[in-house]
Amino acid sequence: MSESVRLLCYWLGLAALTVATVNLARVETGSGIAVVVVALAVAKAWLIIDGFMELRHAPPGWRLALLAWPLAMAAGVLLAYMF
Amino acid sequence: MSISGDAQAGQRRAARLPGDLAMWFFILAELAVFGILILAFVWAQALQAPLFRAGRQALDASTGLGLTISLLTSGWCAAGAVIQVRRGKRGGTSLLCLALASACGYVILKLREYAHLASLGLGLEHDTFFTLYWLLTGFHFLHVLLGMLILGALAYRCRAGAYGPGRSSSMESGVLYWHMVDLIWVLLFPVVYLLG
Repeated sequence: MSESVRLLCYWLGLAALTVATVNLARVETGSGIAVVVVALAVAKAWLIIDGFMELRHAPPGWRLALLAWPLAMAAGVLLAYMF
Repeated sequence: MSISGDAQAGQRRAARLPGDLAMWFFILAELAVFGILILAFVWAQALQAPLFRAGRQALDASTGLGLTISLLTSGWCAAGAVIQVRRGKRGGTSLLCLALASACGYVILKLREYAHLASLGLGLEHDTFFTLYWLLTGFHFLHVLLGMLILGALAYRCRAGAYGPGRSSSMESGVLYWHMVDLIWVLLFPVVYLLG
């Protein structure tokens, strides 16, 4: 797959996840929906990190450090949400 | 060199950090700052849930969707520009200009939202929700404006032929800053607009 097609796939994935997130959140909110919305946000962040920022080819330490940020945010957000 | 040696060498070559190392440390620092702000927002929400629920009613999720798509499209164009330049192909400048145009869509939508909220009297001092809303999204908005300046400078230099195969590191660093702005927004958007 060429780099341009790969980038297009990342963008389509990000757009689809964004539309899904907004539509899901319009449903009556509950803790289950919150978990799904946050999980979708993490998935989008990972697509940006690995796809647009090209960290899929980077040294593992840097890649893991960046991939960990959305996870840490998700944990903090869900912890506060369940509080 | 053996075949397995070649493969190992290929893997070593493949492990590459784009852009300048300093930019990555800067990105980590920015992510830490925004992380603290986002967590402050959600924990304040946990303590004042009804107030945050009421405040969020004034925000339009469709506007948030438009803002997100604008930024993601801009990031896509900027990433495409880097690929074109690295390959020594034309089109890098055009893609950077498209990225800038898409970012303008974000700015217009955001300014309209800010004007709408201001007209309703929902300013910085209205309540805790709007104090944190203005601080968090305003700080991000400033980063978007700086990112647009960087994209404009990259487009100018790209047109002047300053970048090409083997000399695209500074362009990669500028574009990485723009992707960081995207990255922060995809976490910030559901927290501010959706989760209540």
